[in-house]
Amino acid sequence: MELSTIKDAFERVVKKQKLCFSKSQDVIYQVGCEIEQTLTEILSAHDPTSPVDYRSVLADLKVKLNGIGSIPQLEGSHKELNVNLSKYTKLLERSLNSDISKAYRYVDFDHHIVTQMIANHFYREGSFNLGDGIIDEAGEPESTILKSQFMELHQIVEAMKVKNLEPALNWVSANRERLNQIGSNLEVKLHSLQFLEILQKGNLASALQYARTCLSPFASPPSPHKDEVVKLMGCLIYAGRLDSSPYSEITSPTHWEKSMEDLTRQFCSLLGQSYNSPLSMTMAAGFEGLPTLLKLANVMAARKQEWQAMKQLPVPVDLGKEFQFHSIFVCPVSRDQGSQENPPMLMPCLHVLCKQSILKLSKSSTRTFKCPYCPAEASVAQCRQLYF
Amino acid sequence: MEMDSLPNGTAASPGPTLGPAPTAAGPPPSSKLSHLANSLKLEHQFLRVPFEYYKKTIRANHRVVEKEISAVINGVSEAADKNDMSSDDAVNHLSSLVSRLQGLKRKLEEGSKTEHLQAQRCRARLDHLESADVESLSEWNNTRVNRILVDYMLRMSYYDTAVKLAESRNIQDLVDIDVFQEAKKVIEALQNKDVGPALAWCAENKSRLKKSKSKFEFQLRLQEFIELVRAENNFIAITYARKYLAPWGTTHMKELQRVFVTEFCKLYGMTLEPLLNIYLQAGLSALKTPYCYDDDCTKEDPLSQEGFRKLALPLPYSKQHHSKLVCYITKELMDTENPPQVLPNGYVYSSKALEEMARKNDGKITCPRTGFICNYTDLVKAYIS
Ligand SMILES: [Zn+2]
Repeated sequence: MELSTIKDAFERVVKKQKLCFSKSQDVIYQVGCEIEQTLTEILSAHDPTSPVDYRSVLADLKVKLNGIGSIPQLEGSHKELNVNLSKYTKLLERSLNSDISKAYRYVDFDHHIVTQMIANHFYREGSFNLGDGIIDEAGEPESTILKSQFMELHQIVEAMKVKNLEPALNWVSANRERLNQIGSNLEVKLHSLQFLEILQKGNLASALQYARTCLSPFASPPSPHKDEVVKLMGCLIYAGRLDSSPYSEITSPTHWEKSMEDLTRQFCSLLGQSYNSPLSMTMAAGFEGLPTLLKLANVMAARKQEWQAMKQLPVPVDLGKEFQFHSIFVCPVSRDQGSQENPPMLMPCLHVLCKQSILKLSKSSTRTFKCPYCPAEASVAQCRQLYF
Repeated sequence: MEMDSLPNGTAASPGPTLGPAPTAAGPPPSSKLSHLANSLKLEHQFLRVPFEYYKKTIRANHRVVEKEISAVINGVSEAADKNDMSSDDAVNHLSSLVSRLQGLKRKLEEGSKTEHLQAQRCRARLDHLESADVESLSEWNNTRVNRILVDYMLRMSYYDTAVKLAESRNIQDLVDIDVFQEAKKVIEALQNKDVGPALAWCAENKSRLKKSKSKFEFQLRLQEFIELVRAENNFIAITYARKYLAPWGTTHMKELQRVFVTEFCKLYGMTLEPLLNIYLQAGLSALKTPYCYDDDCTKEDPLSQEGFRKLALPLPYSKQHHSKLVCYITKELMDTENPPQVLPNGYVYSSKALEEMARKNDGKITCPRTGFICNYTDLVKAYIS
């Protein structure tokens, strides 16, 4: 079933609806005509010499109107429309998952937590009025911590969008130590952007001054950035015409975008938050995973209790690699998931099995055994545990 | 478990494929395409609700035309059967019928305009589904999240924020704010202890509520009785009711709001549970591993956050059939292009990370978790299937 089939079916509904409309128009017109005609007849006969028999005129009109068969006409066209309306509904039910809540578990899903999640999602996006809106309408106590932090981030990034680096540099110097711990090079990157900005405006003296105070600390040998700084100094002779110099690449707007992204990433990291919205991330996993869960729920439809009580899904839900956050080892022999009690072991042939599989193969470490994946022989003593 | 032949758990039908067909120029991996096609099949409510609304308008408009035309025809019959009509009477009577028809004509045209707008909305939804493709999926999913958030807020009666979100993201055609306007009236009245609009809504949807064996009207009548009991004073016969029924007033009002939303959702072909909860639960279950609850769980994992952990608590863990190994240093997946390498102490990192470390430190490798130092040449590749 293609989307185009659904579209075609919908257009058929619209066509019938339009037919129905013009049929109604016709009927109104016909009835109107007959009545008006009768009316003219009565009015034109206002001649005292030949009085009109209203009763017979009205009786004629009654007969004529019944002759039109307005109601059956209306009913007929509406019936046809109805057929198409219900056909389309059925088509939707057949082509799509008509009830995606079939895989839902009726467990406690705390709506206070959900509201907080949504509010933080809005704050992170910089939609502070929406975050405040839902907190207010839901009557939740405000979680001010993330709001004020994301507000700061938002202000820094908005300033960067208009090439104002001051808030960003202030934040970096206030958090220098923690940024160094995560190996950040944001400070030198921001100073470079500022230096180039001054230089592009053609102000050689201020550029030189800026380089002396802000970039020189990064130019001496222990700094991993000394080559970059040297390159920046090379730009000095092209003050005001950097765009047409051999250094033109250095002025590309992508450097600004990249720095904004880096700053956001590191800001979130210091906050103990992820770079991507956890709500969007989880939803995206849901978009990918729900079809599999629905199939599973369908297969298990007769075993509702088992479905509600299961501790682990019986089938894998395949997600893209952006959703892989943890190393999970699955033994290729036993299909068991690695754990502390049953860790992955490296055999001398460099194939990896879980400990229990190796114990089985070696008959509880009593003899050497052949690797299931290559001809090599191994003993338990030769195998060693791996840590991912 | 054999279940691949079934389309997302609906009754078995010859596998329909919804969504864009692969293009000739550099098709994206087929797994991504089939993921997307399956994911689009989840959007039943998205297409169904505006259609139900359209259908409702069509039916209401049709009823008006039928009713008015019958009234006019009956008006003529009655006049024809009367004995004592003067010429003026007849003229007046017929003229009033003519103007009634003119009124109907105007109503029909207005109604047709509404029908047209609603048909446009149904089309906009179909077009939006068609616009989803693998390349721009993250943007499309952003809109999808926003749509689902609007759905959530409408169901929770956070109308103002719902409207603000829809307007600021320019997705008014993709959400059902006007459908919920109908619900809003009823719910706000119930909040003010007024069951009138809810009863009117029941009358309006009588036949369909009857079909689904709804007890909503009975519950409303009961509430109305409670309210009467609460207001009335001199009735001895209802002292008992006052004592034992009246205290339930507030609680039951809340329950009524919930029941109403359920009935309302059923009528429009919406899921009974908010879409947000359904997708969140599916996502959490798919993401949940025993490692998510470790202290050193990476912050990029939504399940490192307290709230997400709590919601995921009653859900099952995900399952893997094959190893999925993530490098501790780079957080990248280790696969054939970036294979895992083993230090003599048994710790495993990706080739990319270790090559980079060796390059920067003259071939020396330091294990970031144990401080163990060795040479790059001491490493071995592990084969993990
Ligand atoms: Zn082997």
